[in-house]
Amino acid sequence: MKNNAILGLGIVLIFVVGAYFVFSSLGPSNSGAILNEPGTVSGDVQKVTLSVKDLNYYPSKITVESGKPVELTLDSSVTGCFRAFTVRELGVVKYSKKPSEKIIFTPTEKGIFRFACSMGMGYGTLEVK
Amino acid sequence: MICMIKSFLREVQKGKGIEGKLIPNVFASLVTSFFILGLLYFAKFRFIEGFVSDYGFFLFFGVLIYAFLCGVLLQVRNFGIFPCMSGMMIGMTLGMISGFISGYIVAATNGMFIGSVFGMAFGILIGIISGGRCCGVMGFLEGTMSGFMGGLMGAMTAFMLFNDNLRLATIIVSLISTVILFALNYMIYIEGKQLEGKDIDGMFFTIVFTFVATTLTTWIMIYGPRSGVFG
Repeated sequence: MKNNAILGLGIVLIFVVGAYFVFSSLGPSNSGAILNEPGTVSGDVQKVTLSVKDLNYYPSKITVESGKPVELTLDSSVTGCFRAFTVRELGVVKYSKKPSEKIIFTPTEKGIFRFACSMGMGYGTLEVK
Repeated sequence: MICMIKSFLREVQKGKGIEGKLIPNVFASLVTSFFILGLLYFAKFRFIEGFVSDYGFFLFFGVLIYAFLCGVLLQVRNFGIFPCMSGMMIGMTLGMISGFISGYIVAATNGMFIGSVFGMAFGILIGIISGGRCCGVMGFLEGTMSGFMGGLMGAMTAFMLFNDNLRLATIIVSLISTVILFALNYMIYIEGKQLEGKDIDGMFFTIVFTFVATTLTTWIMIYGPRSGVFG
């Protein structure tokens, strides 16, 4: 009986504390950028080309303007997991099979964000002004 | 098999013998961890932006597995010496799970290098304490190797899932680890039938172990070095 009471209390404790941590960690996703399909954007498009140098993205620092679409090209030197481009904080996650498959998004939030490949092997900084 | 599981669960429920002390020890470990985390949160960590969402989630699952580890360590300490086969399995499982989980949660917040180092150190230590203690050099080797492997694997898994469903994977990994540790509890219960136990209380060890593991993990996650990808 004593152990049953402790077990019950333990289960309640785990669920209450666990629910608090789990629900607190659920943040909004894809809130800082709008993902655009190729061909749907026109006008003032900011074009960026990334390649690979010294086992990392080159350039590793990109500066773009907020509110304007960004057309990102991963050239033919970018291979493997580096072709899965992610900006986690902006909700940008896209796999570009070949250089002709552009990654187009419109950053709506200003700040400095880390971009990386899907496995975090290559990374850099995206500054949205 | 089902009869044996039922008999094990009855022992756990009755509160007698070493299996009867599993629930109080796991509960004591949980309370100790939550108390330390609560105290640190109100004293210092509430001033860190995004502490609950960035660190709290991983710390919760970390301390949960530490609590279940305490249960197995209590049984191991009670019986002391095991046959080689069982001792190797105990050392391997404990080294692997402790290394994997500690490496995983640290790598999720600090990157692969520090996650691997912490995971390997913690896993090897637990592997040696459990495997080396209960069946000599074979258990020692098994515990060391599994801690070494688990620490690296946990850190690597978390790091590679960072831009994917890391949080969902944390829940799945923790659930699997819990089932494995519960199965190990059962295995030791079966093996222990042929052995003479000391019927130790273990509460002091549980509290000290939890205190050290939780504070060390928290300290490394908050103040430890970070890899470049974490900024």
